[in-house]
Amino acid sequence: MPEVRVVYQEELERLEASGLGGLDLVTAALGRTLEAIEQQDIELAQVVIADDDRIDGRYLEVHQALITLLATQSPVATDLRLISALLHVLKNVERMGDQCVNICKLIPLTGNEPPADEEMIELILTMGRQTRTLISQAKRAFEERNVEMARDLVRQDDVVDNLNRECFGLALAIGDDPDRREWAMTMLLAARAIERIGDNAVDIGEQVAFVVTGLFKEFEDASHPNE
Amino acid sequence: MDGPAGATRAEPETTKPQMPSSHPATAPEPAPKVEAEGRRAKTIEVRDVNLFYGDFHAVEDVSVKIEPNKVTALIGSSGCGKTTFLRSLNRMHELTPGARVEGSIELDGQDIYAKGVDPVQVRRLVGMVFQSPNPFPTMSVYENVAAGLNLNGSRVKKGEKDEIVERSLRGAHLWDEVKDRLDRPGSGLSGGQQQRLCIARAIAVEPEVLLMDEPCSALDPVATLAIEDLIGELKSRYTIAIVTHNMQQAARASDVTAFFNLEQTGKPGRLVEIGATETIFTSPSEQATEDYVSGRFG
Repeated sequence: MPEVRVVYQEELERLEASGLGGLDLVTAALGRTLEAIEQQDIELAQVVIADDDRIDGRYLEVHQALITLLATQSPVATDLRLISALLHVLKNVERMGDQCVNICKLIPLTGNEPPADEEMIELILTMGRQTRTLISQAKRAFEERNVEMARDLVRQDDVVDNLNRECFGLALAIGDDPDRREWAMTMLLAARAIERIGDNAVDIGEQVAFVVTGLFKEFEDASHPNE
Repeated sequence: MDGPAGATRAEPETTKPQMPSSHPATAPEPAPKVEAEGRRAKTIEVRDVNLFYGDFHAVEDVSVKIEPNKVTALIGSSGCGKTTFLRSLNRMHELTPGARVEGSIELDGQDIYAKGVDPVQVRRLVGMVFQSPNPFPTMSVYENVAAGLNLNGSRVKKGEKDEIVERSLRGAHLWDEVKDRLDRPGSGLSGGQQQRLCIARAIAVEPEVLLMDEPCSALDPVATLAIEDLIGELKSRYTIAIVTHNMQQAARASDVTAFFNLEQTGKPGRLVEIGATETIFTSPSEQATEDYVSGRFG
């Protein structure tokens, strides 16, 4: 039988590529965010904040086009699941971009020459690099519809979570100096934001499983961790 | 129309009053084995059914249970046998010269093809609504609805007939629109009204199953949605099977969807998959179903 609805299929493929391309924007934003933290580069932080409009723009553009496809093409089955998943992924992309902005807004608060703790900075940078890997892996798992790779995100995210807890321990032990304590508390917020980006990557992995299996189930239920 | 070339669609029974008696399989007395009493929706159990038009094998090895009080949609591309299958459920398939049925179809455990079963009685219990609204053109609205009662050979008193006509027209959501012109020709109604008139005519004889063969294909979108709403209400009283080419209609109006397909032209149609409509349209099991409901292949 002849293949039909070619234009619709091409549009859906284009929107998937564009939506997942939002993850590349996030990866780049997170990379610059980490550099801004490492270099205490307030200007670079401002660039990341301004550049978030691109991520938001991608969200709006693809979201609108997906809604149009829903309204005009009546997608069902795998196509419907894909569109539903992409709408979720777009929200994750937008949230991850916002977390980068949140971190970059913290950088000027710590001043030009903050009383930084090298060990804690290194932990946060490691967290960030690990999270970038998670984002790339989430994107690849989605593109390849690879549920196993998607599930592996949980394991990778555990690494980020553990690093976050280590940061917390370092902040507690930072000493009595008020400036250093303030700096450590601020950096804990940054670590927390990176940890949330990791969670968003895991959420994308769950959407991969939904597209493939048709069943949505959280890989890990935070409110029922032992189930 | 799904039959192969040369297989003509038989006119509905109600437009051809002479048809049942002329049919060779029509059983003489005694009384039919399929009981008409105790009105309620019935289960249709289809086992190993094969349908033929002469030498042409139209439908192969269908086994399926059609549940009561649910709307079962039969979907599939043209020529896949879904209409042929539908017509076998009330013994209309055999009206086509050379057509025959193998296998068994039971209505609540009673084989409708068993020896001695009167096909006319089967068709009274299993009503049918057709693609194009087909009220009798010379009959009034009232007479159209009452026509089935007369065809059954039963003598119904005028007062009782009035009640049945009103009840049927109300059941078909048409009463308020036609109550002041019951004596006008049924053909003067709009397309959507005519189709509801045909549904009223079908339910006037109190069937237990309603078969619908693309009942909205000749209607505009508003009339289509009105019929779909009506189908949703009728299922509380009937077992309903509907053939549709409109997949969104199947998605909107049915509880269960059955997908028929044929591997290639000339091969018999087969039931590929049947399941909850929600499942068929979100996560079908078979790739062929996925391709069809997604509109990926013609």
